[in-house]
Amino acid sequence: MLIRRRTILQWTGRLGGALGLGRVRVWAQAAGFPANQEDTLHALAAIVLPAELGAAGIDRTAEAFVSWVRGYRAGAEMDHGYGNTRLRAKGASPAPVYLRQLEALRPALASGGPDARREAVISALEQARIGELPRTPDGRHVAADLMAFYFRSSEANDRCYRAAIGRDLCRGLEGSEQAPAPLKGRA
Amino acid sequence: MVRESDVCIIGGGITAAMLALKLSELRPELSITVVEAGKRLFDTENRMAYRQRSIEYAENPWPGDFIADQGAQGIISRTMAVGGSALHWGGTCNRFSEEDLRLHSMFGLYTDWPLEWAELEKFYCEAERRLGVSGEPSPFAEDRRSEPYPMAAMAMTHNLIELKKWAEQSGIPFQTTPQAKNTRAYGGRAKCIRCNTCTICPTGARYSPDYTFRRLLERRNFALDDQTLVRRLSLADGKAEVAAAQAVDYRKPEEPVEYRARIFALTSGYCWSPHLLLLSRAPRFPNGLANSSGLVGRYMCGHAFQSAMIEIDAGIYPGMNEQHGLISRQFFRVQDREHFVRHDLRVWESAAGHEPRLRSADGKILLGDSLLADWRRRAQKGTARVRGYYDVHPDRESSLTLDAAAKNRFGDPLPRIEHRLDAETEARRGFTREHFQQLFQKLAAANGKVLSTGAGNYLDHPAGGCRMGADAGSSVCDSYGQTHDHENLFVAGSPTLPNAGCTNGTLTFVALTLRTAERIGAQFPKR
Repeated sequence: MLIRRRTILQWTGRLGGALGLGRVRVWAQAAGFPANQEDTLHALAAIVLPAELGAAGIDRTAEAFVSWVRGYRAGAEMDHGYGNTRLRAKGASPAPVYLRQLEALRPALASGGPDARREAVISALEQARIGELPRTPDGRHVAADLMAFYFRSSEANDRCYRAAIGRDLCRGLEGSEQAPAPLKGRA
Repeated sequence: MVRESDVCIIGGGITAAMLALKLSELRPELSITVVEAGKRLFDTENRMAYRQRSIEYAENPWPGDFIADQGAQGIISRTMAVGGSALHWGGTCNRFSEEDLRLHSMFGLYTDWPLEWAELEKFYCEAERRLGVSGEPSPFAEDRRSEPYPMAAMAMTHNLIELKKWAEQSGIPFQTTPQAKNTRAYGGRAKCIRCNTCTICPTGARYSPDYTFRRLLERRNFALDDQTLVRRLSLADGKAEVAAAQAVDYRKPEEPVEYRARIFALTSGYCWSPHLLLLSRAPRFPNGLANSSGLVGRYMCGHAFQSAMIEIDAGIYPGMNEQHGLISRQFFRVQDREHFVRHDLRVWESAAGHEPRLRSADGKILLGDSLLADWRRRAQKGTARVRGYYDVHPDRESSLTLDAAAKNRFGDPLPRIEHRLDAETEARRGFTREHFQQLFQKLAAANGKVLSTGAGNYLDHPAGGCRMGADAGSSVCDSYGQTHDHENLFVAGSPTLPNAGCTNGTLTFVALTLRTAERIGAQFPKR
């Protein structure tokens, strides 16, 4: 019988936790994210992302967020800036926090109606005192971070303007004097 | 370990790259060693990946480009690597103007440089050729050039075309900003492909000193010793000649390294060059080498800035090429001392005020469709980011000093920089602020609304600390960077500037350095 990768990671996480190996547990939770919260994450995505992405687009964005969480490198150097410069490093993986928050949202997102689901997410964001959309996901709340992940993206920028700006792409200089072409069949 | 060469260059940034390159061309027989405290970050093959991590995770796009215990109070960049701050550079290549060199004779303010504008202009042309600058001529006769730009200007995006139309309604002429970015293949580097991340150019289209160093490393008599910190300069016994640079290799700190050379050149920028001189005391120079005037680490300068975000009724699509902008040089000239406010004026596309937000104006949380609808509604207007770097002049007490309370791992005191402006500049503060407020309103008058204004809380493009001058009593070095106290010790680039002008300084640092290279080359008898 094949054992699923996620199951192994869950076992590793539990083992690490039992042994008091905090770092092992965090690693396992990041690598195995979203573990058994996959459905909750997708339900959350359906609430916090725009419907015009379509079901497939919302699922694709949720999966991209999962990849982002798994690719997060705790302790990585951050840009030290210019002007008021300082050395900074990325904090711990947000995965454990996200998993707890998804678990807390799970009942409302699994059974409530659309309004109740929205209210549950809003309530969670209010409780977490999230005032602004983060520049990049900052680990304070999974709902805000999933929104930041999408709405701060080049893809969302294109969708907002209904134009193929391609902010984060390398696009060449030719034709840049023209307004970006309208998005085709997506907006 | 002892390392000998004809020329020892201390510091590995853009100044070092240009000095070493030109010297190696003028005098190919000379052996040159560049010593840099930071690492070589030559893995160009990884730059696209670093760029992506920077976009997605806000990670450092230049991993390893600093030394944790080699910082300074008041410094504006922690970059310490081969290539220096120019690794992160946006590539802007504005020239100063003659007024910057003639403040005293034209306006009775501060001081003059011991250098004619026509002389500097020649080296501006050379700097533009070597860096590969794309640009268009200024509409002002005072900005005339003796040579055209080596490359055609970067194309204006749709956004910049709209912004130029908008900005020129004020009657102020604008042009695109000259940049060290390739609009065609140039200097062995590729044409720009508009990645929108010039501070980590993944293709090499924006000039970066590491490309020059890699070329230099192909020469047999060039050495680049990275991860090696020069801690002191020492004099020959009983002489004023610098005999050696005492250094430590971070990888083998137990084995000191001594560099001996006929000529030493400091190219470590405005912070670390005066810092090294202050650390290098000798019986005849108890306050540090090259410091008989007491002016090493004095007259630290930079330019101040005022900025505004102006909402305009125009179709702006944020992200087309955010690093490319417009400049007006109209305010480089002033009529007289009573109305002295000199500045550049820059305009860029921006998303400020029109970015996605989590809460509506009344504080309600927006999710999904409502967030997108709110964003779209606000994005119907565009934003112009406007900024003026303005000319301020340093007081003598604008200083870099040794901070006894902060030391690196070797016990050397680190620098502390405290900028202070001279009395005339302070007296102009209110007038300057009022000038900018009126200017922002003038730009917004025909079409626009000033969303916010702000003043910088640091001096940008810092320079000074070893200012040049004709008189040994009031300066550290001459216009070639040759120190008055030590015939074989030169300071190149930014530290030699008496004042930092009112626009980006890199091109000026490079132009002065290229001139310094000629003087250093001439120190050696022809073989």
